[in-house]
Amino acid sequence: MPEHVSRLDTSLPVFPAGSGKGAVFSPLPQDTKDGKMRAHAVQTILSDPHTLYSLWRDVTAAPRWMEYVVSTEVKSPTITHWVMGNPDHPEGPRVEYDTEIYEDVPGERIAWRSLDPTVHEAGEVIFSPGPGDRGTVVVLQETMAVPGSKLGVAVAGLTKRTPRQIVIEDLRHFKQMVEAGEIPNVTRDPHGPRGIIGGFKERLYGENNPTPPGTGVAQ
Amino acid sequence: MKAVCWMGTSNIQVHTVPDPEIVNPHDAILRITRTAICGSDLHLYDGYIPTMEAGDILGHEFMGIVEEVGPEVTNLKRGDRVVVPFTISCGNCFFCRRDLWSLCDNTNPNAQVAETMYGYSGSALFGYSHIYGGYAGGQAQYVRVPFANVGPIKIENDLPDEKVLFLSDIYPTGYMGAENANIKPGDTVAVWGCGPVGLFAIASAYMLGAERVIAIDRFPERLKLARDYCGATTIDYTDNDVVVVEALRDLTGGIGPDSCIDAVGMEAHSNTLVGMYDKVKQSVMLETDRPFVLRQAFQAIRKGGTLSIPGVYGGALDKINFGAAFGKGIKMAMGQTHMHKYMAPLLKSVEEGKIDPSFLISHRIGIEEVPDMYKIWRDKKDQVTKIVIDPWQDRLGTPLAV
Repeated sequence: MPEHVSRLDTSLPVFPAGSGKGAVFSPLPQDTKDGKMRAHAVQTILSDPHTLYSLWRDVTAAPRWMEYVVSTEVKSPTITHWVMGNPDHPEGPRVEYDTEIYEDVPGERIAWRSLDPTVHEAGEVIFSPGPGDRGTVVVLQETMAVPGSKLGVAVAGLTKRTPRQIVIEDLRHFKQMVEAGEIPNVTRDPHGPRGIIGGFKERLYGENNPTPPGTGVAQ
Repeated sequence: MKAVCWMGTSNIQVHTVPDPEIVNPHDAILRITRTAICGSDLHLYDGYIPTMEAGDILGHEFMGIVEEVGPEVTNLKRGDRVVVPFTISCGNCFFCRRDLWSLCDNTNPNAQVAETMYGYSGSALFGYSHIYGGYAGGQAQYVRVPFANVGPIKIENDLPDEKVLFLSDIYPTGYMGAENANIKPGDTVAVWGCGPVGLFAIASAYMLGAERVIAIDRFPERLKLARDYCGATTIDYTDNDVVVVEALRDLTGGIGPDSCIDAVGMEAHSNTLVGMYDKVKQSVMLETDRPFVLRQAFQAIRKGGTLSIPGVYGGALDKINFGAAFGKGIKMAMGQTHMHKYMAPLLKSVEEGKIDPSFLISHRIGIEEVPDMYKIWRDKKDQVTKIVIDPWQDRLGTPLAV
């Protein structure tokens, strides 16, 4: 493993939502004391783990549901080239780097990390059967070095969304694609003149964050 | 197209804005034939619902003709006549599958904002602030309807718009208010507020087997509708000789109403000292809601009774005697209406002539008259009970220039 990549703790704590009874809850790490930001999101999605795994594993589809992904290019079965930035601003800043999938268990887990020494990013997604007929519990966790890294600077400069919120929104969009067949989008709804305060609030409520197109109709 | 825009507190204007377009595959575009102002729009007008932006198009009660459908809309086609529920639901999530449609997981693009305020986000609504999704509303000539396979109900009879329009919100909302009240034969139900939702709650309570409904309001025209059309016993709470809790005790053999329905919500009016306290605190933003009806209902309700709350609340409440609710072991049920569950059976009740929902319409206006009517209704002038808008008329009887 390259020196610059901080490997995630691969022993993910068992969630209360999981099968364990009589267990002690241990929170996922999210401290930033070492300069790295850790974020996680959890969703229960009405589908089976293998279907969800396959949808996530298709990195070519990532720009359709992940925020701030402009494009992806598959370089090998495990290595992907990512172009990150705001797709709504073609002239805006871009960060490009390669990631490697270093653990890949169909139907259970995908873990990846950056291969670029200047971009600190690693993450994993875990699929486990939910209770009863509730589908699959999906846990996504990512670690990034912010704000020092190129990725952190680019993200911070592009959006009011914190990197932590982007992780939450990404998993939400994934769920919406699977369950609803589309990502809800109001960015093109008509409205009257916003004025100065309305325009400020529009940014405050995140409506100029790019909504990934999902299955949406091309503009 | 012309659209009614919220431009700030007590500031509504009609603007010409771009027509909506198909964005997602389950979208439909509707040419709106009739729309209405809802009592809950007055909370927006008065600035009590956070996350409104200048320019937002209002309106969540509307119906019309399908103009265009997205590639995955299978059950509607151009030319269909539909009523649209005010809640937007995906139809396939945990909540939709359990008939909890207004709690849908997947339709609010601004779920982050709702999660910050409420922990989790409910479904999105049309034209009702950005915490509820920021979708453009239907007090306009056209609207984009997301998840058109799931929400809109086709009207395949020749009933006029006015008889089916209120399936979009107030009739199902009043009905769910009554259903949530857990009414048993022989029960007495007390309903606070004889606005549209209160009136439909009264009518629905009788449909669900109530022995008697007692209605509380202060406006003679509303109390008259509650008596004459809905068959309620009415209490005017501004009558100096009336103490509401005592009146309800006297009318129920000393037991108290079996069920109470709060069809008023966050902007309750009261002529008492506590009512003024709320008004002052809310006006300086120390309190988001004026929960006067809740306080009164907690006192009035019989032991072990059910309190149903279709009235809208927005945030933290003050001076609530929760001990009364606990001490009497009451049950409570509330929330936005699970519209999709009620539209088909309630349409049937209209088709069968069990109810004519147009009974409460007091005003019919064109789109340019809307800003004035918001003010008139808010100020409770001109005996407004319900305002219906023809968005293709400037002023009633004056067709828009092409």
